[in-house]
Amino acid sequence: MRRALGGFLALALVAGAAVFVHRPAPAGAQGGGTIEATVTYTGAPQVETLKVNKDTEQCGTEAKIEKVVVGANKGLANAVVSVAGLKGAPTAKKAEIDQHGCKFVPHVVAMTPGEIDIKNSDGILHNIHTYSTANPSINKAQPKFKKVIAEKLEKPEIIKLTCDVHSWMLGWVAVMPHPFFGVTDGSGVTKIENVPAGKQTVEVWHETLGKQTKEVEVKPGQVAKVSIEMKK
Amino acid sequence: MRALTLALVVAVSLLAAAPQALAQAADASAGKSVYEKKCALCHGENGDGKGPAADLLDPRPRDFTTGIYKIRTTAGKAPTDQDLFTVITRGMPGTFMPAWKVLAEKDRRSLVAYLKAFAPERFKETPKKQELPKEVASSGDSIKRGKEMFEAIECNKCHGTEGRADGPSRPELKDDWGHPIRPANLTKRWTFRGGATRADIAMRLANGVLGTPMPSFIDSVEKPEDIWHLANYIASLGPESPDYATLLSARAVGAPIPDDPSAELWTRIAPQNVPLVGQVIVDPRNFNPAIDMVTLRAAWNEQEIAFHLAWDDPTQSVEDKAKKTFADAVSLQFPPQLSAGPERPYFLMGDSSDAVYLLRWENGKGVVEAAANGPTKVAPLAGGEVTAKAVYANGRYRLVIKRALVSKDTARLTFRPGVFTPVAFQAWDGGAGETGTRMSLTSWYYLRLEEPQSNRRFVVPPVVAILTLVAMLLVGRVAHRRV
Repeated sequence: MRRALGGFLALALVAGAAVFVHRPAPAGAQGGGTIEATVTYTGAPQVETLKVNKDTEQCGTEAKIEKVVVGANKGLANAVVSVAGLKGAPTAKKAEIDQHGCKFVPHVVAMTPGEIDIKNSDGILHNIHTYSTANPSINKAQPKFKKVIAEKLEKPEIIKLTCDVHSWMLGWVAVMPHPFFGVTDGSGVTKIENVPAGKQTVEVWHETLGKQTKEVEVKPGQVAKVSIEMKK
Repeated sequence: MRALTLALVVAVSLLAAAPQALAQAADASAGKSVYEKKCALCHGENGDGKGPAADLLDPRPRDFTTGIYKIRTTAGKAPTDQDLFTVITRGMPGTFMPAWKVLAEKDRRSLVAYLKAFAPERFKETPKKQELPKEVASSGDSIKRGKEMFEAIECNKCHGTEGRADGPSRPELKDDWGHPIRPANLTKRWTFRGGATRADIAMRLANGVLGTPMPSFIDSVEKPEDIWHLANYIASLGPESPDYATLLSARAVGAPIPDDPSAELWTRIAPQNVPLVGQVIVDPRNFNPAIDMVTLRAAWNEQEIAFHLAWDDPTQSVEDKAKKTFADAVSLQFPPQLSAGPERPYFLMGDSSDAVYLLRWENGKGVVEAAANGPTKVAPLAGGEVTAKAVYANGRYRLVIKRALVSKDTARLTFRPGVFTPVAFQAWDGGAGETGTRMSLTSWYYLRLEEPQSNRRFVVPPVVAILTLVAMLLVGRVAHRRV
């Protein structure tokens, strides 16, 4: 009698718990659409140039600090476009950022929580110095013989990346809680695939111009075009 | 029955934890009263590093609210309680943070608890000790490997080729709060914030200095024991303590004195380190002087006297109005005449009643003799014969000033052997905007020209000792014969 009661209780507990277990929506479910976002900016580009006085062989004689990069058709580059409020499994592909020509390439990297490979293809000393609050900040030396350093970034956050040896170097790592994001290219365009259908809010973040949102209707199997103009 | 035991166990463990939590709270509130009396003036009432004195201090006092601490022995971000206790007790060399050994140990420990309360988030997890690779004793080979690593990792980018903090990236370095920060001068180990021993250096290399550009190298060296080879190399760059000189002496030499600072004679004369402090008496004042030490070697012969000065300066500067820099300069100060008693002119370059005599060297201009009645009233003296030669390399100036031993007029000092001659030093780092009254200086020291010694002192005592021994043996033999 007691054993049966115990067994029934255990089953009831498991069933009760199962009700509350959240099963993540499978990524790439049928019925998803694509968002094609174009980010524009009508103001002037802000690019500062600095004379380089060290490691000129790898860094060149002039360095550019690209605060606002505007390309063809007033497209704003290096903006992170994401869909708000979604949940998804992390992307399989490992994020990477390279220090090449004393610049972070790409200037902005977006990734899901996990590992990022930080490469040094310059063959000179750089140091990875991050500024972040949710993720522990990192300050590690990367001399020429350390070609790759792998770092774990687990919390969603936008992290600033600098090098102290070359003070003009600036990069950004946007750790996103879900895989529905993209970084705009030189013409301000990025595509986000497999977005669940329905009314979605698109968020744009830019390092100098800040944040903006816009609503878009996503239909399954179709490309939803959304155009966002960043305000000055 | 079992449930009851379980409940009892939980209750007991909670009660056991409570006294510790209560003790922590007691420590922090005791720490608060110590903090407000001793620490708040620099570190601020709210622990944000913005006390009333903060704007005068460079480096600025620590902002405790971020929980970022430079000196740790841990692998993560938070220091251990012992780390914080050590810094409070030892102070931070090279900064305005004094050693607080005067406070009772209980007070210092309760301060640690109070400091942690400014950034509780940071101290939630137990800190993990930084494991260092097995220690490697210092040896010629280890230092050689350390030098290889120093060059391969390019430490010179910030710290300079010889470690004198003159690296090319130096001017752009900023700490986490955006304030300019200087890299350590590796030849002055006693200024290292975390301590000068090899073990201290190895720990700093391993886990970096948080809040500053200095990164951690534990993952960046080729082999783990390279951390110790690097520490051994850095320890070989300078002494653990500066052993400041008290009485300065000039060596008597028989031969002509070279005027080249790199000549071999200067390597045979022991260096005498003299500390300099900022000039804070006359406005504009210099609370954060760039030059903190000069090293003197002096030699004289019957015709002339020569002063070899060496000091660290990250840049070789001349006057440039656009860049707001001035010429680097250094001066040796003497009274114009030796007085019979202990009276000397005012140490800050004389005053209206008593002048001083200066041998003043400026980068780009050479050396002049001058008379000064105060730091703003310096007048060159005509007709003197003084020469100088300066060499600048890798963050260090070396300068030789030579002058005739005897002077012909009353405004210039005549140097006499065996006499205690007052001397003082002033230095300006033009690249840091130092000029006029913005200088580093010393108060009066004494310089003594050593009389030349003959070699008889090596011959006579041994001869006398041998003769005495022979006499003793003779006496002994005679005494024995009687019996």
